[in-house]
Amino acid sequence: MTRDEIMVVVKKHLCEAVEGLTPEAIDPAKSMKDLGANSLDIVEIVSSSMREIKVKIPRSELAKLTNLDALVDLLHTTAAGKSA
Amino acid sequence: MTAANVSLIRHDDGVVELAMRDEAGRNAMSEPFVHALSARLKEAALIGDAKCFVLTGLPDIFSSGASFDMLVGLSKGELEPTDIVLPKLVLDLPVPVIAAMGGHAVGGGFALGLCADVVLMARGSRYGATFMGMGFTPGMGATELLLHVMPPSLASELLFTGEAKKGSWYEGRTGVNAVVPRAEVEGRAMQLAARIAEKPRASLEMLKRTLSLPRRQAFERTYTMETLMHRVSFAQGDLVARIAAVHDEG
Repeated sequence: MTRDEIMVVVKKHLCEAVEGLTPEAIDPAKSMKDLGANSLDIVEIVSSSMREIKVKIPRSELAKLTNLDALVDLLHTTAAGKSA
Repeated sequence: MTAANVSLIRHDDGVVELAMRDEAGRNAMSEPFVHALSARLKEAALIGDAKCFVLTGLPDIFSSGASFDMLVGLSKGELEPTDIVLPKLVLDLPVPVIAAMGGHAVGGGFALGLCADVVLMARGSRYGATFMGMGFTPGMGATELLLHVMPPSLASELLFTGEAKKGSWYEGRTGVNAVVPRAEVEGRAMQLAARIAEKPRASLEMLKRTLSLPRRQAFERTYTMETLMHRVSFAQGDLVARIAAVHDEG
């Protein structure tokens, strides 16, 4: 999967979790919390995204991320490493 | 009437609030929290002029279920499941109970709320029987308590997936009494409580015992089966690592 495709997946799950949010309104430089997601929303968004992209990342690594771009980068490099 | 982080607050006309406010522990069921909650529930049962109880939590968390330490203790066989007494104490309260679940309620915290006669949720909070997300079978009566507010097919989905769904998911799809904005949950609960509390205590007591009978019977049945399932599922070798992964520990 390309980075852009992964961004589409994450945005889709983010919009499902946060009422009223649309993919166009998402600034990937922001954190999911800033975009209106609560702690359990974030768990759901990340686990649903990982399930769809077919990667598994330990929570300890996910906890270091500060915004959506960083999450998508990590998902992308992990997925690329898996298929390499 | 206040002790530890759970208190009984007397409102007007026989409405009694059971307030769970463990900010530091995020209303997780640690041993001290379970003991404090059990003690308040036993005191509540003895308030002779109570007409209706309202169970409330923190603004963002109703209860997050068993604490990490409690789960690890259970999985290692070092702890007896003390939280199992909580559903029975709520089910046995002599007058109606309203669960004002404005904040998230997961695992045992969700089961606790479902012991109430009337269940209120917030649209934006999340609710789920998350036990299987950590690899072990449900506890605290959850295997049957979910059936109080939803059909078996939806209960099966929540129990198998362990997913914590948004309150909005429960709206219209389940029998949860009301799903409203978070800020309105407690107010709605107090309105309902006031209406119930207008009735004579003896009538409320009789009706409560009658209406809660199927759930009290179900709880006894479930307790037997869940305890057996826990012995097997907690004994699985990788369980502590799974629990730690979910709780960001280790």
